[in-house]
Amino acid sequence: MMMSLASYLVISAFLFLIGIAVILSRKSLIAILLGIELILNAAALNFVTYSRFGSQDLDGHIMTLFIIVVAAAEAAVGLAIVIRHFQLKETIHIDEVSQLKE
Amino acid sequence: MDYTVSTIAPIFLFPFFAFVINAFLGRKLPKDGNWVSLIGILLSFVFSLRVFFDFMGKYDTNFYVHKVFNWFDLSVGDSVFKIDLGIYLDNMAVVMLLMVTGVASLIHIFSIWYMSGDRRHGRFFVFLSLFTSAMIGLVLANNLLLLFIFWEIMGFCSYSLIGIYYEKDKAGDASLKAFMTTRVGDVLFLLGILAIWAVIGSVDYVDIYKAIAEGTFESVTVMGIGMTTFAAFTIFCGNIGKSAQFPLQVWLPDAMMGPTPGSALIHAATMVAAGCYLSLRMYPLMEAGGLTPFIAFIGAITAFGAATIALVQKDLKAVLAYSTISQLGYMVLGIGVGSYNAAFMHVITHAIFKACLFMSAGSIIHSVHEQMMPKLGGLSKKLPITFLCMVACTLAISGVPFFTGFVSKDRILGDAIYWGMMAGQNKAFAIVPILGFLGAILTPFYMTRMMCLIFLGKPRDQHVYDHCHQEHFSLTQHLPLVILSIFTLGVFFSGALIGEWVPVFGAKQEWFKVLIEAPNVNNFVDTIKSSFGFSDSVTSSMSVTKATYTHQLGYFGPNPDEHGVHQAHFIGAILSIFLAIGSIIASYLVYVRGITDPNKWANTFAPVYRTLVNKYYFDDFYLGVVIQKGLLGFNKFLSWFDMGVYDRIFIDGWAKVNFFFVRLAGWFDDKVIDSLVDLNGIIVKIFNVIFRKLQTGRIQWYLVVMFFSLVFINYYFLL
Repeated sequence: MMMSLASYLVISAFLFLIGIAVILSRKSLIAILLGIELILNAAALNFVTYSRFGSQDLDGHIMTLFIIVVAAAEAAVGLAIVIRHFQLKETIHIDEVSQLKE
Repeated sequence: MDYTVSTIAPIFLFPFFAFVINAFLGRKLPKDGNWVSLIGILLSFVFSLRVFFDFMGKYDTNFYVHKVFNWFDLSVGDSVFKIDLGIYLDNMAVVMLLMVTGVASLIHIFSIWYMSGDRRHGRFFVFLSLFTSAMIGLVLANNLLLLFIFWEIMGFCSYSLIGIYYEKDKAGDASLKAFMTTRVGDVLFLLGILAIWAVIGSVDYVDIYKAIAEGTFESVTVMGIGMTTFAAFTIFCGNIGKSAQFPLQVWLPDAMMGPTPGSALIHAATMVAAGCYLSLRMYPLMEAGGLTPFIAFIGAITAFGAATIALVQKDLKAVLAYSTISQLGYMVLGIGVGSYNAAFMHVITHAIFKACLFMSAGSIIHSVHEQMMPKLGGLSKKLPITFLCMVACTLAISGVPFFTGFVSKDRILGDAIYWGMMAGQNKAFAIVPILGFLGAILTPFYMTRMMCLIFLGKPRDQHVYDHCHQEHFSLTQHLPLVILSIFTLGVFFSGALIGEWVPVFGAKQEWFKVLIEAPNVNNFVDTIKSSFGFSDSVTSSMSVTKATYTHQLGYFGPNPDEHGVHQAHFIGAILSIFLAIGSIIASYLVYVRGITDPNKWANTFAPVYRTLVNKYYFDDFYLGVVIQKGLLGFNKFLSWFDMGVYDRIFIDGWAKVNFFFVRLAGWFDDKVIDSLVDLNGIIVKIFNVIFRKLQTGRIQWYLVVMFFSLVFINYYFLL
């Protein structure tokens, strides 16, 4: 059985919304980073889907690989920032991280 | 000889260049450049002599040369505004020129002697040259404006020469007095020029004569007075000021503060005659305006009044000054009674003998350093040449036959008799010849008195007498006196008294009487003035085409009663001969033989004497009433008006108005404008409060906004 394009896109959209929801609702920086990973994965899924149903070449796959690399780099940098912030302020609660406002 | 600009203009230009050279280089030249002035005037004299001989050769009554050069032209469309400069030379101007340059030459020569070693020597010659050139320019001028310019230059020269020793208070006051008094006349004269301009749009003599002939003036009236009368009166006021006529005679006696040669030239011989020259030039206007009776009265009052004052003067220059005023009065009287020719002859003859008298006075003053007559006396032995010259001039001014004064004054008085008594006019006109004859009695009397007090009798002040050196003939001192006293002989002007006389210098019998005539305005009707460049107008226009104008009063008009005139002249001549000789003898008896003591008479008629010594209180009246009460009062009123009314109400009031507006503006600025500025801030602050809420600093909030914004934008634009 061949799955339709729409089902892939729906799954991707759900992943994106779950990611957004995580980012907006959770107060922990680490959870937010996780939410961002979900959003990136949703984007990656979209690329692969359009590669399969669209141009039939490897462009989408290459973009997906890039996204995975970016996500890894982002997770590393993000976690580093979070650790540094924790060292400075002893908290990773999102509402406490408002230094830029001042 | 042709009358081109190059033959006439040098008469004016030589003294003028002498003035320019002396004014700028005088101090650097040897002898302060007095020889420059002398050469200038002598060359000018040579040129005018040339014109004079040509004039004698022509012997044409109607001769005139009119040359016009456009000075400036501001005409726009139909409104003509054009002033011409030019030369108007007629018989009168030729004779006047010869007199002015001749007398001025001799006075220059005399001044070189008189002023040598003086501290204002150079300055004196500068003004002498400027004055002479201005006088020549005035004689040559072809219009009233040009005449007025030279007239004012002469006024200035007179001012400068009177006040030449300006460090003396009296000299400064006298110069100011002369200047201000003549100014009264000059302002009115200027008004007259403007009036003529307003009517005919030109001030050229020819245009004025033409306008009189055509009756242009009659059509215009100012405040109910005919323009002819108005213009004639105002122009005659110029004459009153310049010729020191009643009531502006006060400046001339004070003008004697200047050096004597300056007095001789300006305040006796020439400048004061310029006023009469003006009236003679404008004679047709005076006649058309019906002003002649007024002129005659002014002249008669001046002639008599000044003669009475001269009787009691102690200063010899003052006697001469009052005799000048008196003689000028005769000239004006002559103009008034229509005796044009005789009046002009008196201008010339008076200039000659009065210049001589003044230079003789200068000679005396320079020799004895004293001019008060009570300290002089018996000087005829020490100053014989001066004495003889002065005797000739005294005889001339007294009107003794065979001398010039008789020729001219007798004819004026003869015409006055005819005018006043025989022409059947108003009876009051008889006052004019009566005053004239009373003056003619007094003139020989005071002149002889002066001569007796100076030269005859015993020296009154031995110290002064001893101080005087014996006189020897010197060229610069005595030559002018001798030449002028020769010309006091009547034969040069008229051969009538001794029958057929040999012509003098080619002069014909009675040349003066034949050649000088009042301009007949009808001759000018046909003249057309060329508008641009130097041009000859009609010369010697004999053709009288439109004889529309006739003399208004008709005393000596087209058809005078020949017999009546002759009779009047006969009576006048007999009377004046007897009066003159009788008066001279009486004066001699009183002052030399001492048949009666003048002081006794002075005590008997003390109020009269005091009035005369105080010059009829004219000075006191002008100074005390007109100036102190009138003008100063008016001045105070004006100053009060300025300070009290104008300053307080208008200036301060305006300041108050301004202060009010300043406060209003300040309030408006503070309250309204500033509030608007503040409102801006407030609005910004309000938005600030609203928008600051967005900047929570909570990253999730930003994300929510971002997310929903994106959703909204996508929804709005893509769907």
